[in-house]
Amino acid sequence: MTIRRSLFVVLAVAAAALAVGGLSGLAPFGHYPGPYGDIINAVGTHQQHVTNMVTAVTFDYRGFDTLGEEYMLFTAVTGVALLLRDARGTAANARPKRIRGRPRLGRSEAVMTAGRWFAPVTMVYGVYVVLHAQLTPGGGFQGGVVIASALLFFYLGEGYRQWRETVRAPVLDPVEAAGTGLYAAAGFAGLLSGHAFLENVLPLGTTGKLVSGGLIIVLNLAVAVAVAAGFALLFVEFLQETRQFKGERT
Amino acid sequence: MTLFPYLVALWLFLIGLYGIVTSRNYIHLIGCLSVVQSSTYVLLLAIGYRAGAGAPIFYSHPPGTPAVDPVVQALVLTDIVVGAAVTALLLTLAIQVERHRGTIDPEALRPLQD
Repeated sequence: MTIRRSLFVVLAVAAAALAVGGLSGLAPFGHYPGPYGDIINAVGTHQQHVTNMVTAVTFDYRGFDTLGEEYMLFTAVTGVALLLRDARGTAANARPKRIRGRPRLGRSEAVMTAGRWFAPVTMVYGVYVVLHAQLTPGGGFQGGVVIASALLFFYLGEGYRQWRETVRAPVLDPVEAAGTGLYAAAGFAGLLSGHAFLENVLPLGTTGKLVSGGLIIVLNLAVAVAVAAGFALLFVEFLQETRQFKGERT
Repeated sequence: MTLFPYLVALWLFLIGLYGIVTSRNYIHLIGCLSVVQSSTYVLLLAIGYRAGAGAPIFYSHPPGTPAVDPVVQALVLTDIVVGAAVTALLLTLAIQVERHRGTIDPEALRPLQD
């Protein structure tokens, strides 16, 4: 056993003892003590005209917190683009890298067919999840990732070159930024009309209808656009790493 | 067994930490970090759980139906998505380390070498 491991075991046992002490002070599992969640469950539908309380928390009661999350996502995606974006293998027709001892096989027809079927179905499902955020489980974060996954199915169905010519980084860059910017800009709607930043000042609509929740719809769409474009950008940047560098011979 | 889900969270945290401490590969290390991260999800969702209660969604149930805490769910859901993007950033750093130093073994990297 190395020194490092023995040191870990000693510290882990100490940390575990502390944690168990702290955890045993929590309410027993299954007996949520409240009160925040209970208050929101009680007044959320009435105040925000939405039926999904998680959405009400994400985009209204903790809307400012979500603004921070949104910018963390934006910063992470920007960091990936900055670190991976150079002249290497960025052309849509760049050849795949070769790894010694690993044969390069063509795509199988089963994968192609599955990709072509799954891509549109997943895309529609993603849009559905985004649009029904205020009613049923879902929202911009989840739906945005589902939409980006649909683009990966499209890659499996159509192959790298077709995919790169359709899912274009120069288009995704401003879309990602616009989604992130829209979230912050929507917050000023409250300030301009004499309310607090990110306050829900739009007409709330009828509870249970698709168009309800006021500003929540706008914020939800902004997040969906930013998340979908952000993850699509991540896929573009990482898949570019599978291509040969410009002028590289292998 | 009222402590059991909390202990699962603690176990995930410690086993992920063990992986980080003993890791010889940055990709593996980032995977371990995700395990540590998921321990916070288990802990948060366990705190917000109420036995026999439904989801905090009042579409087909009227408000007032017993429901679990929506606040921790909102925290976990945003963090899963943002965490995935941050993991992508860490993997990018691993790619850059491999590109510049030819290895992703933390032990093989001597910080003051250059």
